[in-house]
Amino acid sequence: MNGDRPVFDWGWVFRNLDVIGERILQHLAFTGLAVGIGLVVSSLLAAAAIRWRALYGPITGLGGVLYTIPSLAMFVLLQPLVGIGFTNGLIALVTYTVLILTKNIYTGITGVPDEVREAADGMGYRPVRRFWEVELPLALPVIVAGLRIATVTVVGLVTVTAVLGLGGLGFFILDGFRRSVWFPTEIVVGAALSAVLAGLLDLGLLALQRILSPWRGAS
Amino acid sequence: MWSRLRRLGAASLVLFLVAAACTGGTSDGEPADGPTITVASFNFPESVILAEIYAQALEEAGYPVERRLNLGSRELIFPELEAGNIDFIPEYVGSSLVVGFGLEAPGATDEAVERLREAFSELGMTVLEPTPGEDTNVFVVTGPFAQENGVTSLGDLAGLGEIVLGGPPECENRPTCYAGLVDRYGLDNLVFESIAEGSARIAALEAGEIDVALLFSTQPVIKEKGFVALEDPNDVAPPENIVPVVADDVIAAYGDDLVDLIDSISALITTDVLLDLNGRVELEAQEPADVARDWLQDNGFLSS
Amino acid sequence: MTELIGQVVAWLTDASHWVGRDGIPARTVEHLWLALAPTSAAVAVAVPPAVWLAHRRRFPFLANAVVNVGRAVPSFGILAASFVFLVPLGFDFRFWPPAVALFALALPPVFTNTYAAIAGVPRHLVEAARGMGLTERQVITRIELPVGMPVLLAGVEIALVQVVATVPLAAVIAGGGGFGQYIVRGFAQGVAGRVEAFAGAVLVAVLTLGVQGVFRSAERLVVPSGVRRMRRERPVGRAV
Repeated sequence: MNGDRPVFDWGWVFRNLDVIGERILQHLAFTGLAVGIGLVVSSLLAAAAIRWRALYGPITGLGGVLYTIPSLAMFVLLQPLVGIGFTNGLIALVTYTVLILTKNIYTGITGVPDEVREAADGMGYRPVRRFWEVELPLALPVIVAGLRIATVTVVGLVTVTAVLGLGGLGFFILDGFRRSVWFPTEIVVGAALSAVLAGLLDLGLLALQRILSPWRGAS
Repeated sequence: MWSRLRRLGAASLVLFLVAAACTGGTSDGEPADGPTITVASFNFPESVILAEIYAQALEEAGYPVERRLNLGSRELIFPELEAGNIDFIPEYVGSSLVVGFGLEAPGATDEAVERLREAFSELGMTVLEPTPGEDTNVFVVTGPFAQENGVTSLGDLAGLGEIVLGGPPECENRPTCYAGLVDRYGLDNLVFESIAEGSARIAALEAGEIDVALLFSTQPVIKEKGFVALEDPNDVAPPENIVPVVADDVIAAYGDDLVDLIDSISALITTDVLLDLNGRVELEAQEPADVARDWLQDNGFLSS
Repeated sequence: MTELIGQVVAWLTDASHWVGRDGIPARTVEHLWLALAPTSAAVAVAVPPAVWLAHRRRFPFLANAVVNVGRAVPSFGILAASFVFLVPLGFDFRFWPPAVALFALALPPVFTNTYAAIAGVPRHLVEAARGMGLTERQVITRIELPVGMPVLLAGVEIALVQVVATVPLAAVIAGGGGFGQYIVRGFAQGVAGRVEAFAGAVLVAVLTLGVQGVFRSAERLVVPSGVRRMRRERPVGRAV
């Protein structure tokens, strides 16, 4: 297929370390922004669903439908609103996090036993303090579990935004494929580093959860 | 514990934002007073190389540049041009007229450029001088296919039974592509199959999964693989010299110096130069930015 | 927005979009085949070792590791890589590269849920069965598999839904991809293609929900009524 070229060209990797570094940063920033914004949006949605329970069904139902829209279709639908590029990709990525995060925040908070809540009330906790110091800490393992799934999913999806001229490490996947004599090294570098990034972020979040709720292991 | 968590959360958010900001700015030229020039490209290697050549030369001359490369097909980029989100793009005369503006493309380059100037002036953009080099759409078959079927021209495909043309998805309805072939050569036997990337079309053509593939005339792979580019006597593919298209307000801000710099680069870009530049990226796996830098250094636009 | 919805309905009901090799019926068949073949292959490959390992209580960490690693590897990368390695060997570019990528996508949820299904069967049931003189093979087929079936099938359902929603990815870089063809063509045509892309997305969503509905109906036939009463959370698929 490409004659004299090695299957994996380490030379290319070393010549392009700076570009690879840039793409890793871009991938991280894109993932961080999407998950961060997704977390804020989902917190609000979950709060609304906890306050008005009847909303939970419609919110997760809509989230479920949005979740099945292929990302390319999402980019097209957003194009008249925000054009093609960063904002477009970001909104699509945020959308994919909302279902997972809303479900897990809701499940986590509503899963706190009533006795615990009553005990906190009995100890004189006001609702705000009760939330921050009792309910949220107890819900944390479930929330972080959702955060881990959302993060790993988004890291993978960022690669697809390469078709918008973005893509983080996904740029290499598309670029290696785009050359008329394929360049597998580039594809493998993009895919493998993206997987490593997802794995590291997953472990990082797991570690964060262990630090913040030392009284129980990972769920 | 929990205030610590909140601080941690705030800190990580700041970190993300900083990282995002870092990846945003890409200019490293001398600071200049005036608007940042947003340079865009289409989603194929030649367009990225050309955008890099102009962008690096502008940066060297001290203009602030931002890159938006690999953005997509012309159909996706035109709304961005209309919205004023792009200040500079190396365009292709014929495709820009036909696909971008829905106009006819005259056979003569000068005439086509004039018509494009008028069209772009409505968008507040100026078309600078065209390159001598040209990169047209070509429809290629494999050497053995051409021999066995005695095919040298697109019209020869007419009597061959079902023929599958592989092209990017936007090709199907373009008058410069599948729709034009059916129309101008009466090819009722031509079937379209969407294959997004050129490399995948080359592989499908070699594997015999498709009979004809749309490629670009400046792709050295055509010669490498012994493909035959079919003649196009009915001019489905219009002249495709490259023209830098620049936003009027950028020209107003920076004046003749900017225009002269761009024109002096364009004058050197011949078809052979395009073939050479594409070969370095497509066959030798060099990076477009590096290829652009080397060419600019060889031609004295960048100090080495 | 209402105008767009009207145009999409008009597109979907346009008779010319229901005939030929690019028509909705042909693309439905292509889409289903591209989804069902890799998912079935994943079930065939992942279920036996997962059942055996879980029955023997071997490598409990493996179930989590498989799903985590599987989720981390981007489908887009597997698709591009398998294209580059398989097509020059003569494999049909419309089927094999996406099939490999989708197989890889389906494998983790099937493996992990199967492992969890078998490992989650209450110990006292297994011990009781052994006490009644059932062989290990009978313990698996008569106790562990029936009792674990809902969780196992939930894994297959997650995989199936993800795969149906991800089939269109194939069209992004190459060809095939079922309804992905409409989405990609719409995408490449910008404003002019919005209706077609939207229609493609609607078709994917409808097919996803349809496949899920059929799967759940079939599930009722497979799961014993006594086991069916155990409730479980409905999974959701991931689009790519």
